[in-house]
Amino acid sequence: MKAALCIVLLSAAWQHVLADVGRDPTRLNISIAIFDPGIPADRSLHRKLQVFPRVREIEALYLPFVLHDMLVSARVGGAVRVIPESDPAAELLVSGTILNSDGETLQLRLQVTDASGTVWLNEIFSGPQQDLFAEFGASLIAARSSRDMPSLNTVIEVSLLRYGQQLAPAAFDGYLESTADGTLRIRRLPAKSDPMLARIERIRDVEYVFTDAIDAKFRELSADIEVVYKVWREYRQKFSRYQAQEAERIANAQSTAPPGSFEAISSHYENYKWDRQAVQEQEKWAAGFENEMAPTINAIEARVFELKGWVADRYDEWRRILGQMFELETELPD
Amino acid sequence: MRLPVTVAAPLCLLLAGCATQPVADTSTRNFTGGMPVDLSGSWERDYSRGDDAQAVLNSMLRRISRPLPDSGYPGNAPQPTQDFSKIVALARLAELITRPDVLTIEQSEYEISVSRKNDFSMLCEFYEGYAKRTQSEYGTEVCNWNGNRLESHLILPDGLLISHRFTISSDGRNLHVSTTVSSGSTRTPFTLNRIYMKFDLPETDFNCVETLSMKRVCSTGEIFP
Repeated sequence: MKAALCIVLLSAAWQHVLADVGRDPTRLNISIAIFDPGIPADRSLHRKLQVFPRVREIEALYLPFVLHDMLVSARVGGAVRVIPESDPAAELLVSGTILNSDGETLQLRLQVTDASGTVWLNEIFSGPQQDLFAEFGASLIAARSSRDMPSLNTVIEVSLLRYGQQLAPAAFDGYLESTADGTLRIRRLPAKSDPMLARIERIRDVEYVFTDAIDAKFRELSADIEVVYKVWREYRQKFSRYQAQEAERIANAQSTAPPGSFEAISSHYENYKWDRQAVQEQEKWAAGFENEMAPTINAIEARVFELKGWVADRYDEWRRILGQMFELETELPD
Repeated sequence: MRLPVTVAAPLCLLLAGCATQPVADTSTRNFTGGMPVDLSGSWERDYSRGDDAQAVLNSMLRRISRPLPDSGYPGNAPQPTQDFSKIVALARLAELITRPDVLTIEQSEYEISVSRKNDFSMLCEFYEGYAKRTQSEYGTEVCNWNGNRLESHLILPDGLLISHRFTISSDGRNLHVSTTVSSGSTRTPFTLNRIYMKFDLPETDFNCVETLSMKRVCSTGEIFP
């Protein structure tokens, strides 16, 4: 049944045109991969750096949606999607690593790479969340504006050819070549009427429809995260302010008690105690955040798993069918 | 004047080395594999055993006020009143720190935390058997295993050092905690011994979980995580 559906899908005769698809090349599709949470492998550093691993993982899932919304509202690109894993065939792939997140300031390394492997941006952005993403959006627009129309069209073409290579390596072999700097360039193009190209494009559209459906589900879940994440950020901000006030208070409150007296030694103990209690309170908040988010995160992870499974299954099927079709079409008659 | 911890800590280490015994360093592997002993559980103080702070203090003051037979310093004898007041200060702090009657110890592969009412939770971190310091602007905590005994040291400014030594009985029902407070102002440390008995928290019909926005959430049914 599934195979039959695929054959019908792939057999649709599509007249493909590569560069002149009627798309505005300045509005390249943007895929945002779930961020790297940036959790140090050395567990012993987590406390020192105030990294809460599970919270970071939640932020790595949630922040791409915040970026997504900003890019859509600012009309920075064409279709903007959050994807569970890096996709090198994406027209523009945004990947990010969380370097620091303390409620007030976010620090991200954000990289934008086009389908040819050319890096458009690779910078560390720092600041309050909204400002950071707005600055990133402006940088992305500037990077796009510095490119001419033919090179933007080429990105669309390379993206499609790379996608084709993933699905039907035999049919798409030889269209792209690697350059000395590790990027890809088009060596030759398939015929505009190449039915295999039309099939690939059709498959990609189907994948997009599915991805968008999952993306919509993600968005519902990200709304759940948003509420609690806001509370978490408020706590973190309060904690930062408290620490600063405490440091100031202790610096200004020089004890005049004689060294070794109960007042002097108990003051040292109390300073340490209050500081540790504040840190431990923050750790409790992190645990509370994790607990509260657990159902949402489990649901997201289940969806990601579902998406990955669905795509992997379809890819296997499509690869097999496309391979058979390529053989049939290129077979020399007896 | 308040010394920065970066200056104070090595000084404390040195002082501690001279006055009592060396504070654990983090370059020595404490154990291989798992931690030597599992201390986890809820422990309540056994008031019928352990030290009485006042009695220990009295005994100590009597001992140090006794003239040394051949001190050799007739003209420069230590000023007992000043030293006494510093020992009393150590005793008061030791009594204050050891006042909580319940200890809740959680132990994982990497860390041991000892929760006490109205105080911070003592923390011992070990990675691959090596102790990890918990450091802040105000002090440093570091632990070590001495055989089956866990030792926790808190190094504070002005040479103040608070050490707890946890020893569990062979049947696992009793916990002996020896707390020593010493400072750079006096060469005489003060030690208090407390005994705790293991107890099980009562069964409850509710399953509870801490959340961020709703605080503690309880249910009679299943609750995750």
